[in-house]
Amino acid sequence: MSQSLIKLTAEQVGKDLRLEWRSRDVLNSMLFFALLVVVIFSFAFSPTLEESRRMAGGLVWTAFLFSTVMALNQSWARELRNGVLDAYRVSPAPPEALFFGKCIGNYLLVLLLECLMAPLFMVFYNLTSVGPYWQLAVVFLLGTWALVVNGTFFAAMSIRTRNRELMLPLLLLPISIPAVVAMVTGTTLILTGESSPLTQIKFLGGYCVIFTTACYLLFETVLNAE
Amino acid sequence: MKSPFFYLLAIITLGLLAWGTYQALDVAPAEATMGDAQRIFYYHVPAATAASILFLANFVASIWFLWKRSPVADAIAVTGAEVGVVFFGVVLVSGPIWARYAWGTFWVWDARLTTSLILWLLYVSYLILRSSSETGSTSVLAAALAVFAAIDMPIVYMANRWFRTSHPQPMIGTDRLDPAMQKVLLWNMLAFCLFALLIAWFRFDLERTSQKINLLHIQKASKGAIAVVMPAVFLFIDPVREHMLQHRYMVFGYVAVWTIYIGYMLYLFAKLRRLHREADELEMT
Amino acid sequence: MRPSRARPRRLSPRDTEGLRLTTDALPVHVEGVSKIYGRTAAVRNVSLDLMPGKFYVLRGENGAGKSTLLRMIAGLSEPTEGEIQIFGSKPHDAREHMGYMAHAPLLYDEFSGMENLEFFAGLYGIESRAMLTEAMIRVGLKPELTRRVGQYSQGMRQRLSLARAVFHAPQLLLLDEPFSNVDPDSATEIAHLLAAMRNEGKTILLVTHQLGLLSKMADEFLFLSAGALVNREAVPQGGA
Repeated sequence: MSQSLIKLTAEQVGKDLRLEWRSRDVLNSMLFFALLVVVIFSFAFSPTLEESRRMAGGLVWTAFLFSTVMALNQSWARELRNGVLDAYRVSPAPPEALFFGKCIGNYLLVLLLECLMAPLFMVFYNLTSVGPYWQLAVVFLLGTWALVVNGTFFAAMSIRTRNRELMLPLLLLPISIPAVVAMVTGTTLILTGESSPLTQIKFLGGYCVIFTTACYLLFETVLNAE
Repeated sequence: MKSPFFYLLAIITLGLLAWGTYQALDVAPAEATMGDAQRIFYYHVPAATAASILFLANFVASIWFLWKRSPVADAIAVTGAEVGVVFFGVVLVSGPIWARYAWGTFWVWDARLTTSLILWLLYVSYLILRSSSETGSTSVLAAALAVFAAIDMPIVYMANRWFRTSHPQPMIGTDRLDPAMQKVLLWNMLAFCLFALLIAWFRFDLERTSQKINLLHIQKASKGAIAVVMPAVFLFIDPVREHMLQHRYMVFGYVAVWTIYIGYMLYLFAKLRRLHREADELEMT
Repeated sequence: MRPSRARPRRLSPRDTEGLRLTTDALPVHVEGVSKIYGRTAAVRNVSLDLMPGKFYVLRGENGAGKSTLLRMIAGLSEPTEGEIQIFGSKPHDAREHMGYMAHAPLLYDEFSGMENLEFFAGLYGIESRAMLTEAMIRVGLKPELTRRVGQYSQGMRQRLSLARAVFHAPQLLLLDEPFSNVDPDSATEIAHLLAAMRNEGKTILLVTHQLGLLSKMADEFLFLSAGALVNREAVPQGGA
């Protein structure tokens, strides 16, 4: 009667994607929010090309951070509605499968968002990259996972607090500061072509490994904290 | 609580604080470049040391709690975090005051300062989590967050070291310290660490009392309140006042710092009064 | 204390699967259990044992601690003091042997009935669609219904929730106010189903305010007041 972790995780992701496709509530609001953020930032900052290469890292990641937090606030909402989370906890399935399933689902959602926002940024700021684009992709992939894995974990923690939507950014942002610093400097280095972002990429890789492990080990404790 | 050791500690702390402050203001030589404002250093650094010890206690207690689920561990964890945030708040307030005089600027984004700020933010978020979580899950969630915060600290330090090197690096450290200054620093270190211990002891007991809801414990706790206030009184001794008025920044520093300490102690007393009232209600039912 | 073995009913192979593993243990053994939240004790030093194949109803005023106790038995909440055993092991280790139902349906609104069951079957490691179809038919729903659960009536939702709770053939059923907001016909049907399951040898513990339905079907009433177990009343000549 036991299921492999991978199979269960895959089922979780499949279920989340199917549910999201059926209701599309998170997706629609996220897309619109992303567009709004890019437009507002464009009004707030109108730099020259050289300046924009220096600033874009910070701007882009601030925008992504906001969008990620908004997406993550919804990440457990579906499980809490109708109390499905209890049904999961009462089943013999390991909670880690639930956690990673959620993480991967959120990751895909946020990546989709970034794929839509990044070109918009490039258009509005007339931005081109001096450094290779594949390096940008790596920074984005690692950085997004760093935010999403901790975000999903803290969103689960926030379930048991009074002001759920506020607790998530409060908990997530301080912990994510090192990752954000690495993401921003890495992106800036690539855009300006100043030097190799290898240190930042390695740092992000290490950060992801360490915190994914920490989340894996502590998720069950946090889920059952009742 | 309130074993005789507590009162003994209070008296020793009072003595050491007075001695340490006298040393810092009178005996220690004035610094070559910074003059008297540098004397902030003698309570800035000890506060940082005390805070670090308290945060370490929080980390160890959190792991202990996750393993054994002991209420004592939880009490130590919250004490370490709360008193640590207060002492670290002192560091973050006295530092910029000193920096404004020494470097002309309140803040600089070098590795150490940035790490300190983030550390403080992490523990503030810890306290916010504790206060807004449902009863029953508070201790577990907070302990998990404490583990994350502890893992994050070395990472934050490394990130800041590697990625923010474009800023000027002013000399903060205690290297090349005059041996006379070193002695004064050590006296103050001892005094403030004991002061931190005193407040932490009080806070811990408050937490245990709150855990046990026993009127007798609360009555004992009220006798201890006076002892905690005592060290604050030394501020108004005459020889101290002479030296303080010499330098504005030092005054600001002292006022700000002791406002924080006294503010926190008042908060603890208010909490104690609330516990009194609750215990009274329980006795009546 | 060993439960009596002489029972005049047939057990299907699925029913005995759980029993084979844990024959010597009681379905539910609660000893000195308390749940303390800060300054209040929601449950106070409760001890009880449930016998296999019996239908228990847990009653008490609002805030008496019934849901809290049920959640602890289901393993959703840790007791502050005391011990709970399900078939001899901790609730967390006996999850395959229990089914849980609450007044919330514990289902995804965007999926159809069968899709919901398929998802939960995956959690229990059950591949056979036959068991799911059978469970749905048993509770009176059509397996081929493609309507989303969000559009079900409350009665249908609770039936599906019951299917979700029993498709993996658990020996212990824990139900927390399953009849709230359910139309009387569905409620009666669900109650009869539960009685039938009890007759098959399942142990049932149900929290409810609606006694009319169950007064004839239950075997014993347990009374909880202000967190403590104050009374037990066996119903003469047990279920219908």
